[in-house]
Amino acid sequence: MLTIRGLHAGYGKLHVLFGIDVEVPSGGITVVVGPNGAGKTTLLSTIMGTATAFQGEVLFEGIPITGLPPHEVARHGISYVPQMKNVFADLSVLENLQMAGYMLPRDETQAKASQMLDMFPVLRRFVHRKAGTLSGGERRMLAIAMGLMKKPKLMLLDELSTDLAPIVAKKVITEVARLRNELGMTILLVEQMAKRALEIGDTAYLLVSGEIRFAGGARDLLHDPELARLYLGVKEA
Amino acid sequence: MTTGNGAASRASEFFLRREVLITVALLLVLTWLLVSRGVSLLLTILIDFAIFTIVTLSLNLEVGFTGIPQFGRVIAVIAGAFAVGAIPGRLLAWFMGLPHGLSYAEDAVNYKVVPQLSEVLAGNAFLAVVFFLFSLVLAALCGAAIGWLASRPAIRLREAYLGISLLAFGDFFMWAGHNWEPLVGGTTAVFVPDPFRIVWGYRFQAVVITMLVVTLLIYLYVERLTRSPFGRALRMLRDSDVAAGVSGKNIVRVRTQSLMIGSALAAVAGGMYVIYTGTCTAIGFTRLTWTFWPWAYMMLGGIGSNAGVVLGVLLLTTMRSIITVYRFKLFGFLTVWGIDPLWLEYALMGLVIVVVVLFMPHGLIPAKVEPILPLGRVKKALERTAQG
Amino acid sequence: MMPPWLASGFIYASALALTAGGITLLYITTRTFNFAHASMATWGFYVAYTGTALYGGSPYRYFPLVFLFGSLLGVICYFGLNRPLLRRQAAEITLMMSTLGYDLILLSGIQMYCDYLTYTHKLFARRVTMSVYDFQLGGTSAASIILPLIAIAFLTALHFFLVKTKFGVAMRATIENPVLAGASGINADAVYLASWVIGGGMASLGGAFMAMAMTGTPVIGMMSIPFMFAGAILGGLYSLYGGILGGFVVGLAEYGGVYYLATRVGPWVLGYRMAIPLLIMALTLLVFPRGLAGVAWRSVPRAVIGRLRGVGT
Repeated sequence: MLTIRGLHAGYGKLHVLFGIDVEVPSGGITVVVGPNGAGKTTLLSTIMGTATAFQGEVLFEGIPITGLPPHEVARHGISYVPQMKNVFADLSVLENLQMAGYMLPRDETQAKASQMLDMFPVLRRFVHRKAGTLSGGERRMLAIAMGLMKKPKLMLLDELSTDLAPIVAKKVITEVARLRNELGMTILLVEQMAKRALEIGDTAYLLVSGEIRFAGGARDLLHDPELARLYLGVKEA
Repeated sequence: MTTGNGAASRASEFFLRREVLITVALLLVLTWLLVSRGVSLLLTILIDFAIFTIVTLSLNLEVGFTGIPQFGRVIAVIAGAFAVGAIPGRLLAWFMGLPHGLSYAEDAVNYKVVPQLSEVLAGNAFLAVVFFLFSLVLAALCGAAIGWLASRPAIRLREAYLGISLLAFGDFFMWAGHNWEPLVGGTTAVFVPDPFRIVWGYRFQAVVITMLVVTLLIYLYVERLTRSPFGRALRMLRDSDVAAGVSGKNIVRVRTQSLMIGSALAAVAGGMYVIYTGTCTAIGFTRLTWTFWPWAYMMLGGIGSNAGVVLGVLLLTTMRSIITVYRFKLFGFLTVWGIDPLWLEYALMGLVIVVVVLFMPHGLIPAKVEPILPLGRVKKALERTAQG
Repeated sequence: MMPPWLASGFIYASALALTAGGITLLYITTRTFNFAHASMATWGFYVAYTGTALYGGSPYRYFPLVFLFGSLLGVICYFGLNRPLLRRQAAEITLMMSTLGYDLILLSGIQMYCDYLTYTHKLFARRVTMSVYDFQLGGTSAASIILPLIAIAFLTALHFFLVKTKFGVAMRATIENPVLAGASGINADAVYLASWVIGGGMASLGGAFMAMAMTGTPVIGMMSIPFMFAGAILGGLYSLYGGILGGFVVGLAEYGGVYYLATRVGPWVLGYRMAIPLLIMALTLLVFPRGLAGVAWRSVPRAVIGRLRGVGT
């Protein structure tokens, strides 16, 4: 569904990614793991058009989207849930959902928003509260709901479980698996909490210092003792 | 490695050619002006050039090398101008037994006292020189004091807030001088004793030469200063507060010193300007002329480049003079609607800023990106490691 | 019946509320500290003056035109200068300088236009008393009642636009989080353009207001831009409503303070009236170096209580 070929990217003069090849197959969860500063977030930013691609190309369903501004990338059916600041803190929960469905017609936005509130009943209580007042877990739920609002074909999720209490983090990851199982959503998930993400993932990439060190099945990466020990902090059981 | 050096030298050749081309063209234009318009226009251009070169160099020291958003350059210029307008004349009057108190700046008193003082200076070369030098030193001291005052908020405030505060206080000082008569005459100008009366007949030429000499000295001083360890500390600070803090430079002290030196230089320019015109009119020290014009000069020349500043000032002062002198010949069609083409001067300065910002952000002579360590020391260190 | 100082004070304060609000709006959307607000305001005054002097009627008739003209100036600035620089991710100081260049070009235009009015229409265009075109309402000048009402109506409309309309909410969303807004499909360019339309219009409208309280000159905007900035800074630069309120407070404080001091100390203080807004700004910055918005208001009570308990350090 999403194909990245020989991508060199970064910010201004800062070169972060060095010739990346990634293939996101339709209908599954592709996990990108790797240590801090490996360029995971830059990868997503480049797809969305907020970081600069120096070389290489990004194809979405065969159409090149390299270097398009964010709102046009979004129009192609890609939604992005950033790691930090993934909700509009000053807007109410409902306004957040409306903004997320900015490209939809008005009545469809309403319908979709109530559908989201059904899917994440936690949020229903806070519809008119400012998103800045939600708890960490509730905020992630809202962020995912916002990602789903525009009926995307592909969701980019950045470090969804970071900074959350372990139980909440597990819940959020389970929620991601549900998106695939129940909605058949295609997901590109970037995670530092590698183990849990790889457990639900289908395809996996290991990104180290801006280069791909491993590409293959998520289970294979999880069970590769050498790589797991070196980069993922997975202890051998 | 060789290709990199080749590219670098080719690039430097290109810039060299561009600045040489502009300089040659400028000199040709100036010669043509001299031939067609006589010497006095050239002298006027040179005076503007000298005064504004000093002001712009001082601005460049603070903006280009230190990274302070100095939108209140006029404050220091005013400090120098008001000091020279108010103090040396009073001291001389006191010395001569003439009115020297608050009433010195009163209209009716001032226009009688000052010509007498000028007469005294005209008859005594030594006194005239002392008077001139004292005026400049006094201006520099007042400027340094203002710079110190400005450095207090400059340490605390963030970029935009600091720039706006400096701008607002520049306006305030102008209005204060305009309203408080005992300082420099308020709404009417205070006259300034003329130390150049002694070369009567060649006064204009003498003023121009003196100012150019002072400008040259200041240029050499600024150039040396920015190449010294102090200059390196400034650039380090500009590029990263944190890095400079880590490497042990005292941020507060270096910023304060830069502001004090810059303000002192601008004040010298203000003082010289007042001596040249022979009067000090508070309302003439607008932020447009003494803050925004120097910003335009600096941006055209290249922020952080002393040589660029000189070229920028020369280019724009010449263009402004051409507009003033040839405005009816070149833009005479505007007079059909009763429009004085002199207003094009504003448009010219505005366009220069816009064009520079959009198309040549580094100016005519871009500042060289120098390694923080002097090249000599790096080479020595490399040699030592190679031997070891 | 209002005392005259309060009447002029209301007009002036409304003018500063609009202009300071415009400066704040442009800053929070485009990171641009707009120097061109000065000449945009002056152009607003000259549009109102031209209409009134040449085509008659009250100055208020021409306010919609004033607003549109300001918007036009804003749109030109956006497409000509601001957008290319924003795309290049220029530094704040570069954005600021670019508007200074634009301001000088506009100022040049204003001066030429004054020459034109003087020559062709035999008007004293460089010293204009707009209040002669005003009428009396309940014993005071109509402007002192009508202008604050217009300002309130306009700002209420702006508030509803930002809260109730889809695009208004999108503007707030972009101000808060440009990246997420872009990812949601909101076109940031459209938001920037809208803020230049609104901000430019507010600047010109403010300039037309200002000339009802003081003599209109080609430098009316240039003279008062420090106070527009002072209002924006007092409001904290990061909150639109703060900027509007800041402008109003600065304007009213200047007129009130000068009136009080002139009657108590002597009329000579009139010459130093600009010290009042500057003092307000300086004191604000002295206590809060990032302006009022830089203060974490929510944590203030907790910090104070913490101190009292002796654990706040």
